[in-house]
Amino acid sequence: MKNFYEFSYIVSAVLEDEQYKAVVEKVNAMLTENGATIDEVDEWGMRRLQYPIKKQHNGYYVNMYFEVEGSVIVKLERQLEINDSILRYMTLKYDAKMRRHLELRRKGNLPLIFEPAPETDEEKENKDSKK
Amino acid sequence: MIKNPSHPKKGQIRTKECRFVKSGIEYIDYKDTETLLRFTNDQGKILPRRVTGTSAKFQRQFTRAVKRARHMALLPFVAENIR
Repeated sequence: MKNFYEFSYIVSAVLEDEQYKAVVEKVNAMLTENGATIDEVDEWGMRRLQYPIKKQHNGYYVNMYFEVEGSVIVKLERQLEINDSILRYMTLKYDAKMRRHLELRRKGNLPLIFEPAPETDEEKENKDSKK
Repeated sequence: MIKNPSHPKKGQIRTKECRFVKSGIEYIDYKDTETLLRFTNDQGKILPRRVTGTSAKFQRQFTRAVKRARHMALLPFVAENIR
């Protein structure tokens, strides 16, 4: 049985631009070989990490969605574990609620959490301290 | 809450409500760091339910989202305080 997954990983920033593409393509190819249907690949590009991983402060984020059998995930994670240029990865199996959320996000009409609500004192303090 | 209509504190007490329930959202995404930051303090700690008024169900989802975001280095485990 196939499941829907969200998969994201961080590629090490030591590589050259073309090498990122190679890594992404390798992951995609590995998935399609194993019978996955890739829904979307979203490369966020270079971002600053909130804390250093392997003494690096930046990383190349890739976020993707695909449908595949569960046994392939084990293989995929094993591959990324071996690969030194992958700093972090995370797989999330999507359930009905998460998929509905994703659909809404793609349409761009997610319910707003904050707009109508007035700010509490604490949040104002938080904001000020962040500035 | 206070039922007595002539109670002096009536009208001053703010009822807390869960922002997530109110908005009608179903899933808290770990990638949405802006929202997550609103429910953490400046050290990056998760604020308790008694402060934010989040419902138990969404507090659980929210903590999970924060922990996922921390794993992916989208949120800090410890934010450094500049004194």
